[in-house]
Amino acid sequence: MIEIHEVTKKFQDKKKFVTALKYVTFSVKEGQVVGLLGENGAGKTTLLRTIATLLTPTEGTVTVAGYDTLKYPNEVKKRMGVLFGGETGLYDRLTARENLEYFAALYGLSKHETKVRIDDLSKMFGMRDYLNRKVGGFSKGMRQKVAIARTLIHNPEIILFDEPTTGLDITSSNVFRQLVHQLKREGKTIVFSSHIMEEVSMLCDSVAMMHKGELVYQGNLEALYQSEGSRDLNYIFMSKLVRGNEHYAS
Amino acid sequence: MLLKIYLKELKDCFRDRRTLLLTVFLPVIMMTGLTFFYEKMISDGEGENYKLAVNESFDQQVANAFNGVKNIELVRDADPEKVLQEGDVQAALILDANFSSKIENGEKATVTIIGDSFSQKSSNLNSIVRNILAIYEKKIISERLQANGMKPAVMEPFTIEEKEVSNQNPNASLLAMLIPMILAIAIGVGAGPAASDLFAGEKEKKTMEALLMTPVKRSTLLLSKWLTIATVGSITGIITLVVVAFEINLLTENLKKAISLGDKAVLIVIIAVLVSIVYAMFTASLLMVTSILGKTIKESQSYSTPVMMLAVFPAMILAGIGVNELSFQHFAIPIMNLFSLLKELVFGIVNYDHIVVTIASNLISMIVFFIVGRILFLKDKWVMN
Repeated sequence: MIEIHEVTKKFQDKKKFVTALKYVTFSVKEGQVVGLLGENGAGKTTLLRTIATLLTPTEGTVTVAGYDTLKYPNEVKKRMGVLFGGETGLYDRLTARENLEYFAALYGLSKHETKVRIDDLSKMFGMRDYLNRKVGGFSKGMRQKVAIARTLIHNPEIILFDEPTTGLDITSSNVFRQLVHQLKREGKTIVFSSHIMEEVSMLCDSVAMMHKGELVYQGNLEALYQSEGSRDLNYIFMSKLVRGNEHYAS
Repeated sequence: MLLKIYLKELKDCFRDRRTLLLTVFLPVIMMTGLTFFYEKMISDGEGENYKLAVNESFDQQVANAFNGVKNIELVRDADPEKVLQEGDVQAALILDANFSSKIENGEKATVTIIGDSFSQKSSNLNSIVRNILAIYEKKIISERLQANGMKPAVMEPFTIEEKEVSNQNPNASLLAMLIPMILAIAIGVGAGPAASDLFAGEKEKKTMEALLMTPVKRSTLLLSKWLTIATVGSITGIITLVVVAFEINLLTENLKKAISLGDKAVLIVIIAVLVSIVYAMFTASLLMVTSILGKTIKESQSYSTPVMMLAVFPAMILAGIGVNELSFQHFAIPIMNLFSLLKELVFGIVNYDHIVVTIASNLISMIVFFIVGRILFLKDKWVMN
């Protein structure tokens, strides 16, 4: 479903170039839930933004659902829902319904499709009571639900979440986890970055670990536990980082 | 799609209290304040009452000279200067000791007027007192000449007549400076919050990423946002013109007299509205670029504020230039041409060449800034924080 081949991304910072991704090759199969792990600055957000067509790779290719992201960005966007940073990306002065209707219109949904979709999503997330209230007065949890609903408004096949539970309380985080389970049952392909190892081990089939712009591991979670002789993902992640740092030092 | 985005942006903008305040209320407040300020400034103290401090033994003949002037009250006191310093009167008039006998004997007498040049009221009274004394002086000269068997005309070998090349009220030039300055500032200030919010604000709130993830072309997003800023600016401009027209017509006397548009009034109003809209479009492009450059609303505003302050300079440059001295460059330079064209319109002049040059210059500048904005908006660096 997602094929990333030898992707490098460099940013120009004043006169020097900073390499955020170094020859990353990585794939996600249809219906898979992949957790993207890494320290701050490891390149997780850059990788997700590159898959989402928001960033153009300096080298390499990204293919989503058979479409090259550079040649057919709109085909990719139609099939993808992206949520960066939990409960952000909403218009405070619009109501939850107006936010959803606006994005539905941008994705080309008809009025009828929009109505049906908003009804379904508000039922799924229990948003009916505050659907017609302005988002500006919402709690973090309410905002997160609306932001996720906005991400799913066009019923995408592929969903990218960038640190979706950062800064959220336990209740709101649980809402997100239940949602991922449900989306998984519906056969959606999901990639999400996270710092929370328990969350990753609970939700993912597969993990990808990044360190200093490089992909240091990608594979099935069960296979990883067996090869490392431990089911402690936190321990495995740290040992991978140590090995990665030794590799850089040598 | 363009219309859907445009309508949503307008709805979002007008739900913002800042935009509503700066678009509607600010022009009303600014125009009202300045209209009344200028009205008062050019009123020459008409209808004002003044108090003039004089000695207790003030000469009765001089006092008689003030008899016909109803708005000046003479306040007799032992120390007129002290009364003035205490602020109880606006000026003081002190005559020489034995003023009357000196005049009768043909000796030179002195009159001292004490005023406060920092006070408009004191300056007005000073000027009225000077005029009264000048008439009194002429009367004395005339009496002396007649006593010596000479005609008063001896002292006035010729008379000077002054004629204005323009038949317009000189106060119109004040309006010609006031209206475009307020209009330019109001459009900039009115459209500013919308501009900052639509690009820098969207980056700050991360809604820009969500927008860019939709299958809508970036150029469509850019155009709809620019249209929103231009609309808000145009509404501010039109409200400003309506308020100034309403207030000058209904609430002022002197400023109303200064404008005589005659049968061209409707045409001039239509041209003024058209030029305001074109200027709002130019301003929208400029503000759009400053907003794209800013990562946050605050940063965007720190770029746009000095740009908007540019609107003050043409007022200074054109203040001393007569309407017949305006040339091509005054209409070719953006911002300056708003002042130049509105100056002509206030004087009742409709010059189609100047209108075309002004509109063309603003449209070209608008397109240039729009292209700059588009180049920036297509680059990842300027659309995501």
